[in-house]
Amino acid sequence: MKMRKILLRLPGEVVLSDHSILVLTVLYFLLIWAIYPHMAGRRNLANLFSNVWPLLALVIGQMFVLIVGGIDLSQTSIMAVTSVLGAMVMATRFDPAKFQHNPLWDIVFSEQGGWLAGSAGAVPAAIVFMLAVGIAIGFLNGLAVAKLRMPPFMVTLVGMSFFSGLAIYLTRSENIMHLPDRFIAVGKGAVGPVPSALLIVVSLTVIAFVILNRSVLGRWFYAVGQNIRTARVSGIPTERVIILAYIFSGFCAAVGSILYSARLEAGRPTLGRNLLLDVIGAAVIGSISLFGGKGKVLWAVYGVLFFVVLDNSLNKMPLEFYSIDIIKGCVILMAALLDALRTRIGANQLIPAAGG
Amino acid sequence: MKNAKRFILMVLFGLVVFVPGGCSRKDKQSAQITICFAFQDLETEYWVAAHKAITETLRAQNIKVLERNAHQDANRQLEQIRDAIAQEVDGIIMIPQDGESAVTIIGEANKAGIPIGVFNRPPADRSKPALVVVADNERIAEEAVAYMAKAARKLNRKMTPLILVGDLGDQNSIERKSGFYNAVDAHPDLFKKPIEVPTKWDATTTLANLEAALQVEPGVDFLFTSSDFLYPQVKAVLEPLGKWKPIGDADHVILGGLDGDSTAYKLMKEGYVDATGVQDLFFEADAIMDALLEAIEKGQSTPEKWIQDPGFALTQENMAEREMDMWGCRILKDAEAGIEK
Repeated sequence: MKMRKILLRLPGEVVLSDHSILVLTVLYFLLIWAIYPHMAGRRNLANLFSNVWPLLALVIGQMFVLIVGGIDLSQTSIMAVTSVLGAMVMATRFDPAKFQHNPLWDIVFSEQGGWLAGSAGAVPAAIVFMLAVGIAIGFLNGLAVAKLRMPPFMVTLVGMSFFSGLAIYLTRSENIMHLPDRFIAVGKGAVGPVPSALLIVVSLTVIAFVILNRSVLGRWFYAVGQNIRTARVSGIPTERVIILAYIFSGFCAAVGSILYSARLEAGRPTLGRNLLLDVIGAAVIGSISLFGGKGKVLWAVYGVLFFVVLDNSLNKMPLEFYSIDIIKGCVILMAALLDALRTRIGANQLIPAAGG
Repeated sequence: MKNAKRFILMVLFGLVVFVPGGCSRKDKQSAQITICFAFQDLETEYWVAAHKAITETLRAQNIKVLERNAHQDANRQLEQIRDAIAQEVDGIIMIPQDGESAVTIIGEANKAGIPIGVFNRPPADRSKPALVVVADNERIAEEAVAYMAKAARKLNRKMTPLILVGDLGDQNSIERKSGFYNAVDAHPDLFKKPIEVPTKWDATTTLANLEAALQVEPGVDFLFTSSDFLYPQVKAVLEPLGKWKPIGDADHVILGGLDGDSTAYKLMKEGYVDATGVQDLFFEADAIMDALLEAIEKGQSTPEKWIQDPGFALTQENMAEREMDMWGCRILKDAEAGIEK
């Protein structure tokens, strides 16, 4: 009798579990592996994980904003603008045919390279600059949302448009090549056997975990997202908490920009132009709520893993290109349905518990 | 919840231990050639026709084609090609998002020892070996604009030329612009300073920028579009201004472009367009496929060859003899023949 009860409750518990997306990912991976043996090949796994790291950096940042009940649509434009600004600082050469009509020619950069080209500090300075710009844009977004009480959707949508345009204006649509090898190594190199991108993003993930799970600030993030009025009455500095969430999102977008720019070996004004759906999609698949107050670092990791495995697997199949888009959309929808199912089962289980 | 955790752990353990039979399988199970065809998007008729020509020809030869659309995202294209490399495809044909990302992606294929062909949009530099097929854009544009200048000369007045410039991150666009200037600069007495209108290869941007340019300078009477796919936008701007008139009309704007698509063909037939530079799409598609298949057959991992499509300018003068050399005309006539059947 007891066993039967356990078996009956098991599916619900599995679906409700924190790890259900991981189970789904592993099952899906194994299914695809059975069909396409190279799915688990060393090269494919390395490739798969190299796609995880930069996306995870963005999703971690997005998660903070979602937890406080906001959304950051400007992440991809932060990537674009930081990518070109960083390249303008450190690129070793600029092609006059493409850049001599740029208003910043001979002011910020010239044929001999960027502002700090050739100096030992060029790469660290460019990275710090990129992170600072990301933080500054995040601060502006947070300020508009928290202090001016503007809708996050509108603020970050306008931010997306403005900073994307700025990136294109600064470069006149040109990609900036000739980035230093030391910078490219940040995205493509390794420390011993460990890819440097992994080290960077795992560190970022640990920081995010500590903030959310081991600090008062973390509890404030959840409190603000669950009910901002109650949080305010409880004495939580809600405005500062919201601003901090957007700052962290901007910071993470800049980290993503560093990794993507390094792997593409260029500062690109259109960097991440089509990445927003992946970021929000992975967060939602990871069960991070769009309504605020709900989200975990582990969920973000699972969401990104599922998304990247899905993308990778679809690239294995001999499908026509439009079929891939359709399948991807359907699978994301199914994952969203699963999330809705989890919420319903959770609510059903709470009602009898409350009643009895 | 404890039960769920135990169950999940047991399932994961069981799957990891028992399922991976695939581990020992060989990746290559058949001798069938697999080619990854990665393109940046299919936003113009040229790319659509190229996609059709390449995929259909390869499949007709019993070659497995993995199609990948990057939706104009260089990073996505890089990821897609890395995935294809992990699948150990035999070769890659790529239409890159731009010349810069092409260099990075060619490097990935070189490192993996997989031959790669670049179709129509050349890499920004030749630092990494690849098979490249590209039209002689500068010469084709120059030839088309030279004919337009010849037509302008008959009007006995100083012309105000305008060029719709493509995305300058694209080498093709830069060369087309150079070709335009070569022809215009050859007639300093005929032309005023050309007006440059950036399009970024985007229809909406073109419409907005061309409208703005003609408000500032309504006297434009000589217009070259760097790609034929922008003719609808040109018409949308010229028509309300009373400047969309056929050849022979006093208000006719001398028009030319480059690509050779079916819209350009129809507009030439109707007498609105004076000349258009034609890329030989079918030659380019055949050339890249032949070169790649030859490299695969010979076991070359980093073949290097630069194949140039000489192209030509289709003008109102040579149209009767050469229209069937224009790919836009051929696909239009094929489609019409299909409808009749």
